[in-house]
Amino acid sequence: MATHGSRLAPAKTRQAGWWKRRLTPERIAPVVAGLILMAFWEVYVRTQLPDFVATPIGIVMAIPSTLAAPSFWSDTLSSLGSIVQGVAIGTVAGILVGVAMGRVREFDWFLSTYIRALYALPLIALVPIVIIWVGYQPEARLTIVVISAFLPVAVTTADGTRAIPKEYLDVGQMFGAKARHVWFGIALPTALPHIVAGIELGFARGITNAIAVEVLASVKGMGMSVFEKSGQLNDNASLVYVLALAIFAVGIRTLMVRSRQRLAPWYSR
Amino acid sequence: MRAAARTDTFWRRVRRFRSARTGWIRVACYASSIVLLLGVWQALGRSFGVLFVPFTTTMSQLWEMFHGGPLLPALGVSAKLYGVTLAIDIVVGVSVGLVLARMKLIAAALEPYVYVLYATPTIALVPFISVIFGFEFWSRVLVSVVISIFPILLGTLEGARSIPRQHLDVAAIFGSNERQLWRDVILPYVTPYAMTGIKQSIALAMVGTLVAEFFLNPDGVAAVLLQGTTIIDSAWVLAVTIFVAAIAVVLVGIGELIERYLVRWRRTAVG
Repeated sequence: MATHGSRLAPAKTRQAGWWKRRLTPERIAPVVAGLILMAFWEVYVRTQLPDFVATPIGIVMAIPSTLAAPSFWSDTLSSLGSIVQGVAIGTVAGILVGVAMGRVREFDWFLSTYIRALYALPLIALVPIVIIWVGYQPEARLTIVVISAFLPVAVTTADGTRAIPKEYLDVGQMFGAKARHVWFGIALPTALPHIVAGIELGFARGITNAIAVEVLASVKGMGMSVFEKSGQLNDNASLVYVLALAIFAVGIRTLMVRSRQRLAPWYSR
Repeated sequence: MRAAARTDTFWRRVRRFRSARTGWIRVACYASSIVLLLGVWQALGRSFGVLFVPFTTTMSQLWEMFHGGPLLPALGVSAKLYGVTLAIDIVVGVSVGLVLARMKLIAAALEPYVYVLYATPTIALVPFISVIFGFEFWSRVLVSVVISIFPILLGTLEGARSIPRQHLDVAAIFGSNERQLWRDVILPYVTPYAMTGIKQSIALAMVGTLVAEFFLNPDGVAAVLLQGTTIIDSAWVLAVTIFVAAIAVVLVGIGELIERYLVRWRRTAVG
């Protein structure tokens, strides 16, 4: 589903100066559009809205003071650390359960009712019950992130390991592959692109749900600060936090797309 | 040797049993998993006390909340937000996707921003949106739409971009006008792509609805959930959570059925 710039504009390789080759209309357009959007935002807020509302210039001005505060770094460490840790745990568990579900029909039938139901459920609806069970603690955030990553990874791994081309299995059988060879030598590598897609989804959901827990359970972190700063009419600082979250999210997504291209270059989607 | 032979026949027997009794094993697996879960839940619930109530208590709580309780009115509020969100997602998502596919330069200009906005956890933008647009219905719709529109938009865009040149050429050769081109070539080709997006958006619109209700002055089903959290009533929260899960399963199932029906002629092409 990932559509991005590189596929769109095959740069015209005419024999011209480097600047002419680089500065195609497709490359200039995003910059122009960005400037127009930001100018519009700036002017609209200045003229129509109260002056505590964030503007692009205001956000840039607020970056130094926000980054200088130690609470920014402790919030970032706490939130992102919890997200990375939770996704790691959820991924390992999800791969193990997913491979078992993909390769053993009975296991799939036994678990699929719950896995599929939980997968369909917006996990944000689980936040209240997890808060009740785990308490108004950072552990509630970790729990939600683990679940958020576990479900997509388990489902995509199961789908990926189930749909192995028959030829692979036949070749494996001819070379006398045992069950564990089939599981971890054939099924898992074949399912790699699916697994990476699952982890990508897990990160996206994990970030959202971590923020939800922070706000609903008053756990200190980036999400909490976004809401707190905005509530104190410090909208610019709030958006600096959003910017940091966005950089993290975009970085993770780019990393996942890259690693999928690296691990499975034949897999186009 | 003999041991090996015996294990061989044992596994062979297992394999024969698995393939001969597939239907029964399947039913047995589903049934035993449900029985086991309910049994464990009931047993744990009896020993844990307030924090983890038994299955039967949860169900009777759900029954109570339905009859004269807060659940039905809240469901109406949420359903309205969900319906409006999904309608806007489909109409705006499909049309913007088609338009962007036709206008290459504008698409190139906006693509990086769509990518960043899609990757950004929208929930973090809720305070900013509420500062500008307030906490009322249309502000909720905006939050919910931003969360759920992208799969439809990007799916349609991808579909419309990948229409093979030959299809358009053939249409041109047979002298089809713009209307025929859209009806007979573009829309049928794009439908499966859009439908894959719509299936995802059906699920995401639920997330959007709940996020909007949780974080812009609690309302609807989310408010009922929060009410249970503040009084730490686990039966209440569990009952609502299970109810939401049931609705989610039904909606996702409907999405899958529609997709399967609309793309029955090119099932292999759509993951």
